[in-house]
Amino acid sequence: MITQMHLKGLMFDPYNNAYIVVLRDEEGQDMLPIWVGKSEAGAISMALENVAPPRPMTHDFMKSILDAYDAKVISVVITDLNENTYFAKIHLMYEDSEYTVDARPSDAIALALRSNAPVFAKETVLNKQSSEELEQWLENLKPEDFGKLDS
Amino acid sequence: MSQANPIQGQALVEYKVDRVLDETNTDTKIVVLARQDGQPDAFPIWVGAAEGHAIKLALDTTLTPRPMSHDLIKSFVEHLNVTVRRVIIGDVKNSTYYATVYLENHGVERTVDARPSDAISLALRTHAPVYITQDVLARRNTTNLDSWLAKLDHKSVNQQEVKES
Repeated sequence: MITQMHLKGLMFDPYNNAYIVVLRDEEGQDMLPIWVGKSEAGAISMALENVAPPRPMTHDFMKSILDAYDAKVISVVITDLNENTYFAKIHLMYEDSEYTVDARPSDAIALALRSNAPVFAKETVLNKQSSEELEQWLENLKPEDFGKLDS
Repeated sequence: MSQANPIQGQALVEYKVDRVLDETNTDTKIVVLARQDGQPDAFPIWVGAAEGHAIKLALDTTLTPRPMSHDLIKSFVEHLNVTVRRVIIGDVKNSTYYATVYLENHGVERTVDARPSDAISLALRTHAPVYITQDVLARRNTTNLDSWLAKLDHKSVNQQEVKES
């Protein structure tokens, strides 16, 4: 089973010197944090804040290539989170055929945002992420922490 | 995205990525392209740290546990049966270089505007040639690059003269 997730924000994790992309389901019951690097966070932040950079950034370039051949991103599915290795699948429609492409969630989300494609998470991934440590982490967050990114 | 070819008919010179240098004082890297037609020339391009890293990974053919952004682009290109024909660095404005990626799929050619770092990253991964137009070569900053590159090797350069953004 898969659940549609919405991007709730990005925040800095000073303990790991990384950024956390926070995905949440419609009802706010399931939360999926994904740790990403600085440049990956930047790529997501730009799409989130609708910033038009003077030159195409990597994921804008990625989308331009798909657009050039009328390939459409249908959806993105976060399929697994294993230790520090994260897995996602990008579903593409091209010339009436569907293609599934392996990607890191950060790339998949950055592309989904630029393509207005929905992001889903597998139930098994959501179940894995219900650790207490995380809950604590998130409880301490203030609303201002969301959606900000220094880069 | 797709556009008329603005640089058709221009003389092109092939360059290859020679190395990626760390710019110690700023969060940037320098991609040094080496001329391939026998004439000694090095063409440096300043790129962001992440962009430089992506080029370095391809240059060293480093295998990463998960596909990096440009590996994903390569994967898309392969799924769509698209061939990356060439990359041309065809313009420079306000010290920013502009690249065009030439793609082909069953005879349908498309061009995509890109930053040189993205274009070069993809070219390395797809074994596509990289060219610089004579016009760009003529218009680049003509500071004494040799002494300047020598200084770089000693990691003492702290001046940015050409920057890709």
